[in-house]
Amino acid sequence: MADSAGAPRPSSSVKLVLLGEAAVGKSSLVLRFVNNDFQENKEPTIGAAFLTQKCNLPTRTIKFEIWDTAGQERFASLAPMYYRNAQAALVVYDLTKPTSLIKAKHWVAELQRQASPGIVIALVGNKLDLTNASAAAAGGNSEDEDEEGGGGAAGGDGGDESGDARKISTDEAKTYAEEESLLFFETSAKTGHNVSEVFTAIANAIPETSLKSTRGPGASNAVSRGGDEQRVNLTGPRGDAAKDSCAC
Amino acid sequence: MFNISNLVQKAQSAAQQLIDPMQGLNLTNSDRNPAKSTLFQHQFRLPSSQTPLYEIPAELTIPLRTSPKATRSAIEAGIMLGSCTCPRPTCASPPPRQASRVERLNSQSFQFALAITTWNGIPQEASKDKDAQKDKSQIREQRITIQLAGTRQACERFCDGLKKGLRGGVGNVGKLKKVVAECYSEYLLRPEDKKTANPPDAGLGMMFKYPGDPKKLRDRAKMRLWAEYLRDNGRNATLIRQPTFHKLIRVGLPNRLRGEMWELTSGSFSRARSSLAIDEIEKDLNRSLPEYPGFQSEEGIGRLRRVLTAYSWVNPEVGYCQAMNIVVAALLIYISESQAFFLLSALCDRLVPGYYSTTMYGTLLDQKVFESLVEKTMPILWEHLVKADVQLSVVSLPWFLSLYINSMPLVFAFRVLDVFFVEGPKVLFQVGLAILRINGEELLDATDDGAFISVLKGYFSRLDESAHPKSENPKLRAINRFQELMVVAFKEFSGITHSTIQDLRLKNKDAVLNNIENFAKRTAIRNLGPDSKLLSPEELGAVYDRFYTILYERQQRDHIIQEETLRRAKTARPSAASAFSDHQDHGVEKGRVGLGPSTSLMDYDAFREFLAAMSKWAIADSPATPRRDTFADKDQGQYFSSFRKPNNNLLSPWGSGPEPAEHEFMQRLFRRWDVDSTSTLTLQNVVTGLAQIKGRRDIMGTITYFFELYDDDGDGKVDREGILRISEALLFLSRRGLEGTLSASSSNPSLSTLTEANGPMSPPIGGTMNERFLGSVSAFIRRCFEYADPDHPSNHIQHATKATPPKTTESDENQAPDDSAFAIGDDEDEEDEEDLLAFDGPEESPQETRKESPSAAKKKAALPSNLPALGKPDTENETQRSVSKAQSEKANVALDPSNPLHMTLPTFRMVVLADELLEQFFESSFPTSLHVTEGLPSVNPSTPSLTTFSSFGRSAASSLPIPQASANGATRGLRGVLDNIVTDASRVAAEVRRRMEEAQRELEQNAVPGQKDEEEDEDEDLRAPQSAGGYGGDAERRSVRSSDLDLLDGADAEAGASKGQEGSSQSILKPTEATSSQTGAADTPAQRIVEFEG
Repeated sequence: MADSAGAPRPSSSVKLVLLGEAAVGKSSLVLRFVNNDFQENKEPTIGAAFLTQKCNLPTRTIKFEIWDTAGQERFASLAPMYYRNAQAALVVYDLTKPTSLIKAKHWVAELQRQASPGIVIALVGNKLDLTNASAAAAGGNSEDEDEEGGGGAAGGDGGDESGDARKISTDEAKTYAEEESLLFFETSAKTGHNVSEVFTAIANAIPETSLKSTRGPGASNAVSRGGDEQRVNLTGPRGDAAKDSCAC
Repeated sequence: MFNISNLVQKAQSAAQQLIDPMQGLNLTNSDRNPAKSTLFQHQFRLPSSQTPLYEIPAELTIPLRTSPKATRSAIEAGIMLGSCTCPRPTCASPPPRQASRVERLNSQSFQFALAITTWNGIPQEASKDKDAQKDKSQIREQRITIQLAGTRQACERFCDGLKKGLRGGVGNVGKLKKVVAECYSEYLLRPEDKKTANPPDAGLGMMFKYPGDPKKLRDRAKMRLWAEYLRDNGRNATLIRQPTFHKLIRVGLPNRLRGEMWELTSGSFSRARSSLAIDEIEKDLNRSLPEYPGFQSEEGIGRLRRVLTAYSWVNPEVGYCQAMNIVVAALLIYISESQAFFLLSALCDRLVPGYYSTTMYGTLLDQKVFESLVEKTMPILWEHLVKADVQLSVVSLPWFLSLYINSMPLVFAFRVLDVFFVEGPKVLFQVGLAILRINGEELLDATDDGAFISVLKGYFSRLDESAHPKSENPKLRAINRFQELMVVAFKEFSGITHSTIQDLRLKNKDAVLNNIENFAKRTAIRNLGPDSKLLSPEELGAVYDRFYTILYERQQRDHIIQEETLRRAKTARPSAASAFSDHQDHGVEKGRVGLGPSTSLMDYDAFREFLAAMSKWAIADSPATPRRDTFADKDQGQYFSSFRKPNNNLLSPWGSGPEPAEHEFMQRLFRRWDVDSTSTLTLQNVVTGLAQIKGRRDIMGTITYFFELYDDDGDGKVDREGILRISEALLFLSRRGLEGTLSASSSNPSLSTLTEANGPMSPPIGGTMNERFLGSVSAFIRRCFEYADPDHPSNHIQHATKATPPKTTESDENQAPDDSAFAIGDDEDEEDEEDLLAFDGPEESPQETRKESPSAAKKKAALPSNLPALGKPDTENETQRSVSKAQSEKANVALDPSNPLHMTLPTFRMVVLADELLEQFFESSFPTSLHVTEGLPSVNPSTPSLTTFSSFGRSAASSLPIPQASANGATRGLRGVLDNIVTDASRVAAEVRRRMEEAQRELEQNAVPGQKDEEEDEDEDLRAPQSAGGYGGDAERRSVRSSDLDLLDGADAEAGASKGQEGSSQSILKPTEATSSQTGAADTPAQRIVEFEG
């Protein structure tokens, strides 16, 4: 995907931030995307890591400036520093860990309230390689949808029996993603499944109007606001959702 | 079938106790002797966090290896039951008892029987109690039958608690499994074919033999016996201690089980085993300095694990923070485990305080400090950063957090560490500044944080290169970039000293903490769940502030009081190294949200304080210290600022705020909000609770809510006791006046006439409103009893039809219509009795009744205008009284405890809606009485804001020059209330009074001895001084009094009369005392009246 020597297509940079519980594979996704590599024991991210990668679309080139944040709960208060002015966000959960989806939902809510308006959010369930469903990521087989039930199942070690560690069904996450107007993918950073697709989809979802070759302070804010009308699909419903979930 | 009491001889009673898997005391059982739960904990060696919640007699059956059942439960839940089990609470996390299923059985002999299936499948199935063990083999399940022998209500409560406990424990089952897997007993009972894995560690003895000759010790035989016992009675977490258990132990434990049994019986099983931090540590062990071979080996990882885990236990407030793994891994390259442990402690406590705390305030603060240093020393660069909107801390934060270990090649990072340890944290700043200085040129070209970062990344990767590659001077050329960095750091920035840093830290501290707190607040509020939507964002914000302010304040006070005690004890107390400063603040800010984990649980006392800051009614009536509105300056989110000021009030148990009241209503509210039965409230609980009262804004909802507060067993009925308590609560809530929109009382002509009759100082509307409310409450009691359904079958249709017609006629006469209504009620009661004899009707009242009663209610609703009759000239009262006296005897039938009755929600609703004031109370007054956002206006407590019987009738404008007039109102209003109560429900009133007296005894000590008040009013003993003189020799009043005397017996009456004429407040109080002493003995209605009149 990263043939940086592409034709002189218009190029613009997009700030993207990764959020999610610790050890769900945020850094691994980025590493896969940027270097097409996978490390079994990746050092935990301290604060945040910064990487860039280009993504070529038919009509333009998008340069992702990726902020890969630390996942541990106590780093959460640092997050605003990183998602400030971000035009896209990848909220990652581990589909073998029910709690990570709860955390992901919190992040989505926070982004919808606090981040730049019009931010493109993708919900990504990682570690697909640990489930039975291989490539096509067929529908979830899993137990009850609600977190509690899932938690109980996790406690019951139910996963071991079938060799399928999946605890969060595709449907559950997908339904949620649709409610909140999020892009949704299930990926495996280990095998590389669906990883570049996530980034490409994000690149496509970023409205043309909010793209600029340089990103000045506050510029993206203003621009994304300006772009609202064109992105009825994405921002319209989300705007509503944000209002609903607005708690303070 | 065992009887529990046999099983547990040492337990205090035959009791089955449910232990709360969540921690905390249970105030639900506040009436219980606390020593009991302590005893219980000792008995089973439970951590203090686990208290028995309920106690209920029960019988327990443990099938002994009966037919195996292989059903696997769908519900996995943690449950912990006390008594026979030795529940092993595992770890800090609420230990799930492992019941996999709880069923309710049909049982002939008992009302309730529970079957508990545990998830400890064992080759043989058998278990008692609710023990369950987890066993992957899942061969059989333990199944225990418990038959509850308590009353139905107790059983239901128990089951309810059990349900909650189970639900709460669900999440922990997984953790417990892990813990249990390390138990030797698990291994022992595993079928042979599954014994593949290594046996769990049972001590060094496994490798180097256990002392003694196993044969002589008969180890095998013992093991066999134990295996059998464990099979039958559960193991580790689910072990049931039967008498055999103790016998088996006395003959000596087998070697391999010895350790586990020690752990179990000593109570250490529950502690230590795991914590959240440990999970987090495990996640990172494999990824700490992975490039260093030592940390790819078991040895290295093991050391790292031990150091981090040990520290997280020792300092649970810090626990584990990512980056600690990297730092410790680096340390471990050079030092031993124990050295690393102490070095880590030094780091966290002194060198980089707050860096790794849960809020990481230290890190954030130092980022701010660093930024201001950059601004000071490199203004051009700083300006550029600002212009380019680059946030410096995105770059520098990892430097500080990992002490550069993560940023530089290790060799260089260690050189920084060398200096860091000797010169302190300032080194981190110096190095950081030097890095920016050296790269200044390039950084000035960078226009966004991406470019900024890549410049520095490049720099770090070339640290070993020559700093001056092109220099002619070979010596100069030999200097690498790192050396250059060190020179710049310590030469150019030598001006940066410890005190520079310290000053800047102090300067920025508040801003940083406020930021963190705002963030925490935002996050917390956002995650509050659907109920929070019922409240406005402002309200939520205010609730949040109030919640944490109270907790914070309380912690402060505790702390200060503690310090004070220590100081007095002249104990030299080594002041804990203060996080921020040389100036000792005695850790006064401990508990501040921004500083990391603080209490986030509100106990009952804090809850009272919480309410007292919002609601007038929640303030105690004792003379309070002047209230300072601490909330005023918190609006900007700086709700802590006020507490930093020296505060003389801090030593009082309630700080600067008003002393909160204590009332049964508040306890009920607390319990209602405490949905998890943890005896503490989380922010979520509080928000949900408030949302239910304030959020829905519809009267039916509020009425239902109120009703449910008093419907203890949730069966939709409130009994006589409950009705009394509701009325008490209504009085309690209204004693400082009502708020919200109340219809103007001027609409009532009779009232205005009345007030004029009182003379020039007619009580203003507010006063009469409250008067009226008191009347409404008494009418409420009456109506409740009137319309209550007897627990016995009854004929309700008759009831309804008979009740309606006469009312209309009577109300015309401006006679208190309620009396007439009551008269009817009386008759009904008798009829009900007859009905009872006549036939056994269905227990539930027929539907038609329900339909009819509202119509009755409507008629009644038309009456409230008459209620002010309470305050009417006494002559009328007299008439009324004579009538009522005659009726009061009949009334007793309704009040006869042998004639149990209850009120259903529809009845309650009807009774409330029948009264305009009550309706308004539920519609607006009660919800608005919780001033969430704006708090209470600074009430000057010396002005009598209480509407009690004593102050009642006095103008709200307080400063009454002529007490006489107010006395008029007071007496009359009081009289009205009393009349009604006496008339209708002398017994009720007696009970109300008795209870109030109990509650009040304590408060009374504060009051001037002679200032006792009458009747319910004793509840509120904060009496404005003016009111004391309020009982003047008002002729009217006296005349009433004397007319009442007819009703009174001898001496008491005379005392009352004569004293009354003296016109002093005592005149009234004395009789009260006199009569109160005979309350219990008073048998005839007449005597009872004495009490109320006094």
